[in-house]
Amino acid sequence: MHRTRKTAVIGAALATTAITLSSFGVAAQDASPAASADAMASTGYAELDQAMSADQPLAGTQVSIQTQWRGAEGEGFAAAFAPFVQATGINVVPDIIGTSHETTLRARVQGGAPPDMAMLAQPSAIVQYGQEGSLVDIASFMDVDALAANHANIGAYEDGDSLWGLPYKVDVKSVVWYPIPAFEAAGYEIPQTWDELIALSDQIVADGGTPWCVGIGAGTATGWQTTDLVEGALLRLSGGDVYDQWVSHELPFNSPEVKAAWDLAGEIYFTPGYVLGGNTAITALDQTTPMDPMFQGPDGVVGTEDDDLTNPGCWMHTIPFWYGPDFFPDQRANPGTVSKFIVGEDVGIFPLPPVTPDLVPALSSGDAAIVFNDRPEVRAFTEYLSTQEGIEGWTKLSGAVSAITDVPAEWYQGNYESEVASDILANATVSRFDASDLMPPTVGQGSFWTEAVDWIAANGENTDEVLQAIDDSWPQ
Amino acid sequence: MTGLAPDKEPFGWRGLLLPLGAVAGLAGVVLALVFLADSQASANVAAWFYDLIGNPEEAALLRAGTGNRLLAKVIIMVVALAVGVGGIWMIYTGFNVLVERLGDPWTRRLVPWVFVGPCLLLLTVFLVWPAISTVLLSFGVEVRLIPPSVEVVSGAGLSDWEWGLFNSQNHQIYWNNVIWLVVGTAGSVGLGLVIAWLFDRVRRESLAKTFVFLPMAISLVGASVIWRFVYAWRPGGSSQYGLLNGIWTSLGGEPVAWIQTPPLNTYLMIVILIWLQTGFAMVVLSAAIKGVPVEITEAASLDGASERQKFFSIIVPMIRGSLITVTITVAIFVLKIFDIVYVTTGGNFDSDVVANQMYLQMFQFLNNGRGSVLAVVLFVAVLPLMILNVRQMRRQGIR
Repeated sequence: MHRTRKTAVIGAALATTAITLSSFGVAAQDASPAASADAMASTGYAELDQAMSADQPLAGTQVSIQTQWRGAEGEGFAAAFAPFVQATGINVVPDIIGTSHETTLRARVQGGAPPDMAMLAQPSAIVQYGQEGSLVDIASFMDVDALAANHANIGAYEDGDSLWGLPYKVDVKSVVWYPIPAFEAAGYEIPQTWDELIALSDQIVADGGTPWCVGIGAGTATGWQTTDLVEGALLRLSGGDVYDQWVSHELPFNSPEVKAAWDLAGEIYFTPGYVLGGNTAITALDQTTPMDPMFQGPDGVVGTEDDDLTNPGCWMHTIPFWYGPDFFPDQRANPGTVSKFIVGEDVGIFPLPPVTPDLVPALSSGDAAIVFNDRPEVRAFTEYLSTQEGIEGWTKLSGAVSAITDVPAEWYQGNYESEVASDILANATVSRFDASDLMPPTVGQGSFWTEAVDWIAANGENTDEVLQAIDDSWPQ
Repeated sequence: MTGLAPDKEPFGWRGLLLPLGAVAGLAGVVLALVFLADSQASANVAAWFYDLIGNPEEAALLRAGTGNRLLAKVIIMVVALAVGVGGIWMIYTGFNVLVERLGDPWTRRLVPWVFVGPCLLLLTVFLVWPAISTVLLSFGVEVRLIPPSVEVVSGAGLSDWEWGLFNSQNHQIYWNNVIWLVVGTAGSVGLGLVIAWLFDRVRRESLAKTFVFLPMAISLVGASVIWRFVYAWRPGGSSQYGLLNGIWTSLGGEPVAWIQTPPLNTYLMIVILIWLQTGFAMVVLSAAIKGVPVEITEAASLDGASERQKFFSIIVPMIRGSLITVTITVAIFVLKIFDIVYVTTGGNFDSDVVANQMYLQMFQFLNNGRGSVLAVVLFVAVLPLMILNVRQMRRQGIR
């Protein structure tokens, strides 16, 4: 007993000494001379240009940024800011929080120790943070008019003269994943209008298949996919102005236009024979698994040797771009390996078609950078994120779509997903930001989701009650 | 360092040494706490170290607020350990020494406060004050102490209470909590009691009881994930990996989405709770049952009592105290249930409970007022059980 205590004390002392000594070594490295010169031209932003000058005055300082980007997205973001670290010597440290990103951020902000910056996807939450006084006004060190000229959806983050969020990355929604070999073998064409989509679904049913894979289970976030479908339907039926009125609640949920949008979404969900597993599957399946039957191959079982896309159990899956290939069944089962199914060759993506040719919509959401602590190096990083170079590494690596609208089109070539996304953005006649991210959180991340789940559970028969309930929940 | 009786203490350097040492020690604790609270202070000390070993650039960076803070963090860690262990000892001993120098009537009055004082202070700061401020927050009044400010959220007033008490969705939530309370508590305690009584005569008693008790080692979230797999659903025709649906379909039925079906999903989630909590009830009640003198049960058998009569007329009344305590403990735990609902259904499908909705209001909808209302409702609901618990402890002689 005495000997073990003595050993423990000595061990602790040694460990402390080792940590202390190694910290000197690490400190010595940080204070070493600056890295080689940058490749970025002068940007016109004072802090950024100064940071990138040859003597790198801010070298050794640190900027922490909290994001939700793990795995492939994390690698993409790291590739995006690597040139900045190289050019300025400023150490960018991402805090990668997983599913509880928003909760953790809120706790850190309310606890008075926020990260220097964060990436957040909900403009309503960003504006709320800004109004609470937790954020640094980006308008105080950047020119908002210059930003507005080429940054998509920047209006969502403005509040009077203040700009609380800097749009960084865009996620285009309303796309459908489909099995290319199976479509070719059966002679199906990519539908160009909504009617063709319904006709294709009927054709698949007539041929003995099940057209739609749908699964929206996501714990407390269950229902967000349905809100995307309804928002896309409203854009297709009624256009941008009606959409804006709906977002600001000038147009209530129980109006005929919004009800028509829900009914349009219901065409996919509730037409008998359309969804594999019926409306039960929609809420019972976790959102990472509904596309599995597409890969089942001739033996009809997913996860076996003969998995391919020639015998899909269900033919179409509408979910944003982030789904594949991370959640293809073989990559999900073997996290370290890459899926053998290539997006663009085996699995394709087509945009959810418009209803009428004059209303070709693009529905997107996006991540914006918000600033909590005002320091020169934080300003420099924010300014970097507002330039094209700020996302170039990610776009070149895995096709991230920038919020900057005049990015060279060649950047998106060669990556199937970003080609499809940029085509959607380019061809759209009406382009809008995800409504549930713009509505107050009580509705947009609350009743809109939960009532959608109730609507599905009732097989779409209680649309009026659901819409009334969402209206009633709107904060006064 | 226990004090010598003051009136026998000789005046002189030893007489002054103890109290001076106590004062110095307490001052040191306060200084250490101030040092810990100021993040720049540790960086300055680390900078002093760097100056000492001849690295002035790093020292300058540290003083400026950036640089490699690893050494500073190690310093904070060492100081925190010293304060945590030595400081607490210092507080008790130091105040004890000082109080004992005051002379007899004062010593007797103050010594209890020396030992209870720090606990009372911590309880006030971390328990009483948050309770008060939550109640105020539910009425829309936000009170901060550092810096002192009172802010009334305009327009809130009683509207959050109106929502909390009269909204029909909240009625569903409260009703769910009642179901959890009644079925969950009765299930866990009842099953624990029956198992404790039956296993009393089993040959491999400790082995059997270990299997019943084992689920208590699993976290609520882990248990919910396990049981989600048991309740999992796949479309009809595909192979079912959910145990329940596997059995159900092999008996010829269509797979049922158990978790998505109200009100069955609430009861199925209560099964998870019973699976977890029965072990606790069983252990406590088993000890109580073993405390019943065996002569009484033998006498009852000789008088011709059946097992049922023995159980209900002798065992249960004799373990009444433990039974009540276990029931109240489990009931308080069940009222606060959150993890199981959050992981299994997320509150959807009419299965929401107060704690889950409180979390959503607070962190997902960013609505402090409504979250506080639900917190106060939960507090008021648990209060009668706490009062019962205290009365029960008093009756058992714990004053």
